[in-house]
Amino acid sequence: MKFKFFFVKEMKKFPFFFLLLAFTLLLGTMGLVGISIVTGQVQEKLKNNANELLTSDIAVSARRELFPAEQEALSRIFALYPHQRYKIIDIYSMITHIREKATRLVEIRATEEQFPFYGKLTLRSDKFENENLYVSKDLADLWQVKENDDLQIGELVMKVKGVVEDDSSMGLRGFSLAPRIYLPLSKLLQTGLIKPGATGSFAHHFKLKDYTQEKIQNIKSSIYREIKDSAVKITLPEDSSEQTGRVINTLTNFMALSALIGLILSLVGVFYLYQSHLLARLKDLCLLNLHGLTKREIVIGIIAQFSFIFFVVMLIELALIIPLYKILAPLLSNNLGIELNGEVHILSALTEIPFLFGLSLFILVPLLLGLMRTPMGLQLKASKLSMGRFRFWDFLPFIISLWLFSCYLSHSFRTGNLFFGSLLLVFLLSTLVVRGGQLLLRKMISGKGLLLPTIENGIALRGLTRSGHKLTLSFLSLAMGATLISLILQLDRMILKEFALDPKKPSLFIFDIQEEQMEPLTQHAKEIGAPLAYVTPMIRARLEKVNDKKYVKKKRSYDFRSKEEDEDQRFRNNSLNITYRNFLTDSEKIISGHPFPPGGASDDRLPFISLEKRWSERMDLSIGDKLTFDIQGVEFEGVVHNIREVKWTTFYPNFFVTVEPSMIEAAPKTFLAVLPSGPKDTKLMFQRSSVEKFPNISFIDVEELVGKLSGLFIKARQAIEVISWLSLAVGLVILYGLSHDQVYRRYYDLALMKSLGFSATRLRLNLLYEFGALFLSAMSLGLFLGWLMAQVVGKEVFKLSLSVDWGRILYPAGLLTVLCLVTILASSWRAVRARPRELLSDS
Amino acid sequence: MMKVTNLRKSYGQGEAKVEVLKGINLEIIKGETLALIGKSGSGKSTLLSLLAGLDKADTGEIFVQGQKISSMSERELTHFRAHHMGIVFQQFHLVSTLTALENVLLPLELLKREGALETARNLLESVGLSHRSHHLPSELSGGESQRVAIARAVAIKPSILFADEPSGNLDEDTGDRVMELLFKMVADTGTTLVLVTHDQDLAKKCSRIIHLEHGSLL
Ligand SMILES: Nc1ncnc2c1ncn2[C@@H]1O[C@H](COP(=O)(O)OP(=O)(O)OP(=O)(O)O)[C@@H](O)[C@H]1O
Ligand SMILES: [Mg+2]
Repeated sequence: MKFKFFFVKEMKKFPFFFLLLAFTLLLGTMGLVGISIVTGQVQEKLKNNANELLTSDIAVSARRELFPAEQEALSRIFALYPHQRYKIIDIYSMITHIREKATRLVEIRATEEQFPFYGKLTLRSDKFENENLYVSKDLADLWQVKENDDLQIGELVMKVKGVVEDDSSMGLRGFSLAPRIYLPLSKLLQTGLIKPGATGSFAHHFKLKDYTQEKIQNIKSSIYREIKDSAVKITLPEDSSEQTGRVINTLTNFMALSALIGLILSLVGVFYLYQSHLLARLKDLCLLNLHGLTKREIVIGIIAQFSFIFFVVMLIELALIIPLYKILAPLLSNNLGIELNGEVHILSALTEIPFLFGLSLFILVPLLLGLMRTPMGLQLKASKLSMGRFRFWDFLPFIISLWLFSCYLSHSFRTGNLFFGSLLLVFLLSTLVVRGGQLLLRKMISGKGLLLPTIENGIALRGLTRSGHKLTLSFLSLAMGATLISLILQLDRMILKEFALDPKKPSLFIFDIQEEQMEPLTQHAKEIGAPLAYVTPMIRARLEKVNDKKYVKKKRSYDFRSKEEDEDQRFRNNSLNITYRNFLTDSEKIISGHPFPPGGASDDRLPFISLEKRWSERMDLSIGDKLTFDIQGVEFEGVVHNIREVKWTTFYPNFFVTVEPSMIEAAPKTFLAVLPSGPKDTKLMFQRSSVEKFPNISFIDVEELVGKLSGLFIKARQAIEVISWLSLAVGLVILYGLSHDQVYRRYYDLALMKSLGFSATRLRLNLLYEFGALFLSAMSLGLFLGWLMAQVVGKEVFKLSLSVDWGRILYPAGLLTVLCLVTILASSWRAVRARPRELLSDS
Repeated sequence: MMKVTNLRKSYGQGEAKVEVLKGINLEIIKGETLALIGKSGSGKSTLLSLLAGLDKADTGEIFVQGQKISSMSERELTHFRAHHMGIVFQQFHLVSTLTALENVLLPLELLKREGALETARNLLESVGLSHRSHHLPSELSGGESQRVAIARAVAIKPSILFADEPSGNLDEDTGDRVMELLFKMVADTGTTLVLVTHDQDLAKKCSRIIHLEHGSLL
């Protein structure tokens, strides 16, 4: 009987309610389940790739060759564990293609026998052997390098043996500064490029015979104990995977959070649907109670009913998503820059379903508690049925699980809290606006007639002041949808603007210019018609002391970090490039302190230092601190005089630390310069001819780099956009449900007003005023909040100043208004045409 | 003032077709109070809805004050009703988002009557509810709601007032008092009244009684 009532009779009698419920749930969970499938695949892929990326179990590396004592220590530690080892040196250098007479910056990877332990290099033909010279596909394509071509590498000329099609250790790198070439370590030593003091990455790789996580951790601690120099770094597979996967993780996390908004919107809808449904069914439930069904049994029946619907929806969803995913996988692979196969692991799709179920069920808790508090026996005597009220803390299970879920989805308390906080902000502001608005309106209409200024307006205003939390709910869901859309559109615009190819942007970055080469190079550039700009000295330095105490990095408290990672932090490399100059570039702004005095440094005080804002925060330094740098064995002291904000995306030569011109000018340095944007031919000609004359100079093609970066952002944006439109769709379905329900609830009001002389047009006008005012204010608030959040993000991430793009505000506003109005009219169409005759029949 | 000829109305189609009114002829004189009685299901509410222009007849004509309302468009009918007719329902319908006072105000302001607020206050006073004027319908009892509904129906001084079992949903005591009020209001203003009821005692208080049986007047 109970079973039949809840599962057969009810569903048969209210197909529209259950269909709408299922549809709302389907739309709301679709985004999250879809993303969890993608994320699952990405994570698995990243894990598998981790070893391949590093090529070994553990690597010990530095920007210099390890000292003999350090090498001995390593051998001592590893002697305890059976292992294999090899060394890899990566350096950047210019090489010349002899036949083409072309020169280019490449990354030289010099390897030893057995490289790589994990992963592989796929050649166009043949197999990789560690005796020959190979070039990467990029280089082969760019330069038409063929097998048996001669390349000049330093002092050595070598023949190309083959082309590397795919290198598994390149992983997900969206771009690389320079294409790679591969040669044996023994050959690299013959090129003369490895002089004492040369910079590059010198890495010792190890593979354990019997790998366990525990052994690796032991080895890691031993190395930290024995080698105290913070310049020596230990890399584990997780680290390299973490680095390459960070972009993707950020992206999927962001998508997951956007999808979560969709889910929340749909849950608001579910709450609303259930509330009106239960109210309509209250009389029958009371009757059931009278005939012996306890309240608890009724509540359990409703939960069972909901669970049934939920799991049917999940089945439908999986049935829909799996074929859909097969089609979308190639597209996603392209967008995320990671190879995804079309196979779906049902398990990864299932992981989030229990969370989704819990969250959905918790939103019903207040209603079910309300039902438990309803005096069912008494109700039948009363002429009007009303449900027991729910209280704020009834929502706590939902709120808490929502908070946990957002942390879980974003994989960090920080992001999760931020997200949850913003949600809370939108929620509080919405409530405030609704309550405040109602109070204001109440004052406005009190004691006045209905003409305000027309009777339709007057009635609409009263409707607005007198509907309670339903109004807040619909306001909230709309405001949230609008916030999301506005946030994404604004961010999108900022990103596009940041990466637009600005004619003022540099086209080429030139570095490693020796002091004595500055003159002739400048001259050379002028002759070609491409004068150099932003010539900046660059000095390698290491922060040794702060206020005469040895520098110790402060701990970061807000991230999830294990003890080992803290230890890593302590051994952080403190060396960095610094410069000296007495002016600010267009991309710099002093945010506290004063500019350097124009006269230059005087002898009676220490030279002034300017720090980049975020670097100073990370290093815990502030104005007035005395800093001691080690510049190739010589101490240099200065005082922090101001803090600068730097817009890095301009790609001008900027440094964390800028020093006032002083004694530091005498320090050993190289120069950095910029070739401003211009014709492509000029750039190529300059690059080629300079390298012939000054072989040690390196170039980075900024135009190419910016192009690749903006490409990456555009792809990310597309993925996010899809999710936000999904959220909007959910919002609209809910909106339809809400206004349909509201209108239906007012069915008799509408019929009555008709009998009193209101025409259908006037009724429609009345509804438009009431819901229109509600939706417009919700939307305005949402658009504003979205804009505000985008400004905050823009300021934090891109160093942008406040800006208003009316196009990006008005276009979604217009679109949403039209959609809302259509929704209101569509949902009320039938009800407005109700015949007043029906007032005469019993309700 | 009101003349009805050969009025017919049926619901449904084919097998399920019910002929509810089978040719009604009726004349109502200005100022009279007419009681319409009959068994449940005899078609009283249906007839009333046609007279009040809430629904359309299949055939037949209805004239009110010389105007043929049976052939008016929905717009014209709505306009006519607003000016000339008042209706009181069994379920004492009030607009749920408006207070008692505003409900009475509604028809007055719709016609842009002078001194609407004053009139509405006086009317609430006369039905003994001035202390409830700022309450919403959900906060009023059944008897109170019906008194507000009566005040609203007579507010525009309609030439004819229709009432469909106005005390049907109230207990006897309250019902009696509501009916007393209705008769008093009608007598004070000289309004014509058409009252549907199956209470014989109530019908006897009216100036004329007509019986409806199986869709025909006896
Ligand atoms: N919308 C409708 N569709 C079909 N049949 C209807 C409809 N409205 C009324 N009827 C039928 O018309 C007949 C007359 O109904 P009506 O409501 O006029 O009766 P009544 O005399 O007012 O009864 P009561 O005293 O119970 O209120 C009834 O048999 C009813 O079933
Ligand atoms: Mg009836």
